[in-house]
Amino acid sequence: MNLMIVSTLPANDPQAQKAVRFLTSKVDCSRVFYTEEMKISPCLGCNACWLKTPGKCALHDDYEQILKGCLQYDAVVLLSGTSFGFIHSAMKNVIDRLLPLATMYICVQDGQIRHVPRYQKDYRFILLYSGKGDEEYLKYWMERFTLNFYGKSLGVFPLEKCEETLQCI
Amino acid sequence: MHLTIISGAARPQSRSNTARIIEAFSEGIHAGGHTTEVWYLSDRRQWGQARSAFEKNENILFALPLYVENIPGLMLEFLEGLSPKEKPGTKMAFLIQGGFPEASQSRCCERFLKTLPQQLNCAHAGTLIRGNMFGVRLLGKKLGGRLVQPFTDMGRLFAEYGEFRPEIVSGFAGPEYLPEKQLRQMGGMGNYIQRWSMRIVARRLGCREKLDAKPYHEVSPVQRKQ
Ligand SMILES: Cc1cc2nc3c(=O)[nH]c(=O)nc-3n(C[C@H](O)[C@H](O)[C@H](O)COP(=O)(O)O)c2cc1C
Repeated sequence: MNLMIVSTLPANDPQAQKAVRFLTSKVDCSRVFYTEEMKISPCLGCNACWLKTPGKCALHDDYEQILKGCLQYDAVVLLSGTSFGFIHSAMKNVIDRLLPLATMYICVQDGQIRHVPRYQKDYRFILLYSGKGDEEYLKYWMERFTLNFYGKSLGVFPLEKCEETLQCI
Repeated sequence: MHLTIISGAARPQSRSNTARIIEAFSEGIHAGGHTTEVWYLSDRRQWGQARSAFEKNENILFALPLYVENIPGLMLEFLEGLSPKEKPGTKMAFLIQGGFPEASQSRCCERFLKTLPQQLNCAHAGTLIRGNMFGVRLLGKKLGGRLVQPFTDMGRLFAEYGEFRPEIVSGFAGPEYLPEKQLRQMGGMGNYIQRWSMRIVARRLGCREKLDAKPYHEVSPVQRKQ
């Protein structure tokens, strides 16, 4: 098992540090991204990644490393703060920028319309959150978000219970 | 009523479907002699005014495109900068529009938005949902205009009731899931037509590649340590 960890929490956040140390010690190979040290702008919704330069975003910032990582690693662990019970905007911006993983084409999947995936990959995501997250809601949203990318949510856990993620990876 | 409308779209006003929908919706509000002011979060220079409008006014409508089952990250960032209202009495309503046609696609976002007003010491004044809006700008003035025209009626009704009434919202949202027959039509010939028309749109935008191109195909999976 290898892991990509994407943290929108400060690199010196003690709980995040602990979680990163724990996770990286338990897998064969890992890579950690601290978005605080990167430039990841919000998605502009320009649709260039679908209709102009298929699969590539029009914004040439650090998002590309994360997009590639989604293709390279077995699972992606998201470490996020929370806002209004949901993930923090810094993490939502990262997720919105994953749009190039889908194509413009649509198809029917389990009775709902979906975009045809661009790559044949079973994406697997885990969310670790700090602060007051609405865990039930976060689980629901993770299911929906991963479904959109033909992936799977392996679970949602408060950061302090990061040991529990081992059951799913 | 004076309604503050805040567009949560990240696309600039001139290219945003949300902006076109807001125009149509506002027409309905104005028809009853009511007034509106609109702020666009795609332009960060408007954030300060949007924030003071939120603080000052008691009727707020956030209009937004669905982004990965929830609000755009940009709009969330704006919301994080708001403080809960000191006095209760402000009504917060929402208008979600998305690309997929089924109402079920907006339910996850709707559930989040239901919890939001209370966290800002406001009351929830309903959420209007509409799918199939991807083509509003792409289809041009006339056809796109037809897509947004029903929002004018919604604006009129919103001004009349001061909120989105559940019975009106549910009719407007359309089917929760598309009927079997329609889903079947999307396969076979339907699928061919869909792909063909998207390729035409892309060509017009200057795209010379296949729409399902895989620019990162060469990226190989990370090897495990032996
Ligand atoms: C990053 C991103 C994510 C999107 N996610 C969804 C979604 O989950 N469901 C949906 O129905 N449409 C989704 N859409 C489509 C937009 O909601 C739709 O095209 C909308 O009309 C865009 O409005 P705008 O022009 O004001 O940005 C998404 C678009 C983008 C750019």
